Amino acid sequence: MEGKIKQAIEASNADYTEVRIERERRSQVLYRKDKLENLETSSELGGIVRCLKDGGWGIAVFNDITQLKEKVKEATRVAQLVAFHNAEPVALAEVPVVQEEVKAHLKHDFRNVSLEEKKRLIESYNRILLSSSNRIVSTNVRYTDSFREVTFANSEGTFIVQEIPDLTLLLVAVASDGPTNIQQGFETFGEASGFEVALDREEDAANAAKRAVDLLDARSVKGGKYTVILDPGLAGVFIHEAFGHFCEADFLFKNERLAKIMTSGTQFGKADLNVVDEGYIPGLRGNTPYDDEGVGREKTYLIKNGVLESLLHSRETANKMGATPTGNARAISYEHAPIVRMTNTYIEAGHHTLSKMLAKIDHGVYAVKAYGGQTMFEQFTFSAAYGYEIVDGKLGEMLKDVVLTGNLFETLRSIDMIGDDRTLFGGSGGCGKGGQFPLPVTDGSPHIRIQNVTIGGK
Amino acid sequence: MGALLETLDGKVDQAELFHLCSRTTPIEFRSGKLESIKDKQIEGVALRVIDNGRLGFATTTDVNDLSGLIDAAIAAAAFGEEVSFTFPSKRENETPQVYDASVANVSEEALVEIGEEAIAQIRTADSQAEINLSIAKSVEKVAIENTSGLKLEEERTTVFLSIEVEKAREGDIFLLSDEAQVRHLEDLKPGELVDRLEEQLRLGKTIVPAPSRKLPVVFTPNGAIALLLPLIVGFNGKSVYLGTSPLKGRIGDTVLDPRLSIADDGTFFKGPRSGAFDDEGTPTFRTALVTEGVLQGFLYDLRTAALAGAKPTGNGYKGGLWGSGGFRSLPGVGMGNVIVGEGATPQARIITGIEEGLLVEAVLGLGQGNIASGEFSNNVAVAFKIEDGKIVGRVKNTMIAGNTYNLLKDHLIALSDSARWVHGTLNTPAIAVDAVSVVGPPG
Repeated sequence: MEGKIKQAIEASNADYTEVRIERERRSQVLYRKDKLENLETSSELGGIVRCLKDGGWGIAVFNDITQLKEKVKEATRVAQLVAFHNAEPVALAEVPVVQEEVKAHLKHDFRNVSLEEKKRLIESYNRILLSSSNRIVSTNVRYTDSFREVTFANSEGTFIVQEIPDLTLLLVAVASDGPTNIQQGFETFGEASGFEVALDREEDAANAAKRAVDLLDARSVKGGKYTVILDPGLAGVFIHEAFGHFCEADFLFKNERLAKIMTSGTQFGKADLNVVDEGYIPGLRGNTPYDDEGVGREKTYLIKNGVLESLLHSRETANKMGATPTGNARAISYEHAPIVRMTNTYIEAGHHTLSKMLAKIDHGVYAVKAYGGQTMFEQFTFSAAYGYEIVDGKLGEMLKDVVLTGNLFETLRSIDMIGDDRTLFGGSGGCGKGGQFPLPVTDGSPHIRIQNVTIGGK
Repeated sequence: MGALLETLDGKVDQAELFHLCSRTTPIEFRSGKLESIKDKQIEGVALRVIDNGRLGFATTTDVNDLSGLIDAAIAAAAFGEEVSFTFPSKRENETPQVYDASVANVSEEALVEIGEEAIAQIRTADSQAEINLSIAKSVEKVAIENTSGLKLEEERTTVFLSIEVEKAREGDIFLLSDEAQVRHLEDLKPGELVDRLEEQLRLGKTIVPAPSRKLPVVFTPNGAIALLLPLIVGFNGKSVYLGTSPLKGRIGDTVLDPRLSIADDGTFFKGPRSGAFDDEGTPTFRTALVTEGVLQGFLYDLRTAALAGAKPTGNGYKGGLWGSGGFRSLPGVGMGNVIVGEGATPQARIITGIEEGLLVEAVLGLGQGNIASGEFSNNVAVAFKIEDGKIVGRVKNTMIAGNTYNLLKDHLIALSDSARWVHGTLNTPAIAVDAVSVVGPPG
């Protein structure tokens, strides 16, 4: 394989050529209610070629890797067409040439676990969810594992082979006490680790079921403006979705007005706000030792002491904006060209305890875990899985239908307390951008307190 | 491929082979300039086997060595779920005209020119707007064979155009987008997208405060997805079987306003999601879901139909509820083309009749809120304020919330008289409802 890739690059007429070949083996176990919906082991082999010719990008994706040389020609052909229509040629920031092999080191390698054993484990969690209460009507329990071997080579001499493991577990219980009251509780796990991540989750399953049942009797939050405390899970999703995507340079590198908003040195939060994207922390899903342009990982401060420090870059955006590539050009698979993505993104710990953060709130909302979220420039919206009323500094009644919305910049400025309890979550989903979903990422935060947040509701 | 099924015949109870070959050419413009052209050629196969009554599944991209695929599927079936359905045998179904040779033949150059022209038109109306545009053509061949003797093949073409316009000013960024997905090249009308975007740019120049109370809301066809999504989830035979659909057990009941009729139609002529058969080889149908407010039925794939004792409706799609396709996933219940019947009032006249309310074109956070119960709760992405029957400006940072079942049964104001395709799967008119909870920004 190595020889064929090098020959194809050698034979290329493009100014820059890169090849990524990916081999994947994955399995899935899925239970819905009392049925085993899917039991699967699949394999995949595919490749992508990306060429720059006269400053235009051409891309070719294929499964038949014997066609590699032809695909390099095809990518070069369409790249020329792009160059013909675009007077602004693309150039790439210089990066070191790398030749390396990155092996995965799994404690309990999921490739050595039989499909039968995976099935038994997931079935046992499903049984816990189903039998927790007679008000549990359905479940969604999904286990996935994937082991990818990704070979990256470019015409500058970089040649990297990386092993990328990923394992997720989703435990969802659905409770109902009538057609108009259907609630769910969930727990999710995701790591670049071994089978141990999926083991010993009985208590988590029981918690998910209990929460679904508790939510049946929870009160809907009343719409309005509140002082809100986000738990580490929801705060992590907030910083990833609402702020992190704003720092992805491909979103603004050709847009002067947006780039101006995101100028380094701009004050975005109070002095104790620090936001980081870190390319490698052992076991985390977002780990990207080398990105899909062959650039090594970094620990990048997006916000340092409340001030915008850096953006996340690919080689193209870094070159255009006079910055250094940060190792954030990622693709979900061989079907896609890399785009600027986050890896492991978090708010650094502050020094407040949760009880101190609660203390001076007369009437607020404690919002827990993210159910979903979306952003559009500075507007964002998130739904919490559940919440609690805060009355006179104490947690009160459980709340449902907690959907938060706001303006990113106002909200960052309104973070007035940061907890001392940073926690990171990989989750079982992933990040979506530009048609590429799900990309394994991790996000996290300590508890954070925000003033004047709009919560939707009836 | 046929040889593979012969190998399996007699070895297992049943087998089905799904074979996809697709070639897609996405062309991307960023900030008004051509950025990249991609040629994506994908081939993959998926095998379902039922062995001793148990289901196993595997997929691969290695079409030259299928023995690994067979082994994986049979190994999974050893511990798989017991299933009681039978793969369909040959049935005739007319093709809904989903292949257009001119899509297959159109050059990248010609598509680039369509994109450049649309960008130039928007620039004429607003020279400051930043424009991102994607145009793609796709030709895919789906072949399904099974041990019931079925052998089907269909070629389908798609042209997809999406335009995103962004207007940034001091303290405000206004992002709007529109898209079209058609089977035939001649049905691509970039000018219509451009006109709609220009109209919104014009209406959105002024920002006005949003109130916080219950108000009438007019959902444009594009915005109507917020209202219709909980319903679409509720029509899914899987939700009904799982007991998570509020529509369970209510066939024959009046569940919506009598002016509302909704159908799923996989046979729709040139429909963006149409095909002669679904991803399990079941012929597609037109399935009435709600007729004049009365619930008629639900959507089923083979497996859910067998569990629920219902008839498969030709809604077994790969890639989830939205049927995003590919070869990888197991088929499940997905939508064909969802068709919401038109009303009698032009959208402009519906607006004229509203004293105070919102016109919602797009929302953020689709699927947020407890959609199983019919609840939606979204931030408006593109919405305008209506005062005394006139649009007075754009509202920002505003939430809308309500219960679809409640709003569409007891609070329907009107349906507009012209439906259009939105989100590549839905054909709907504008829908106006009363009593939507609106929460404006702090101020």
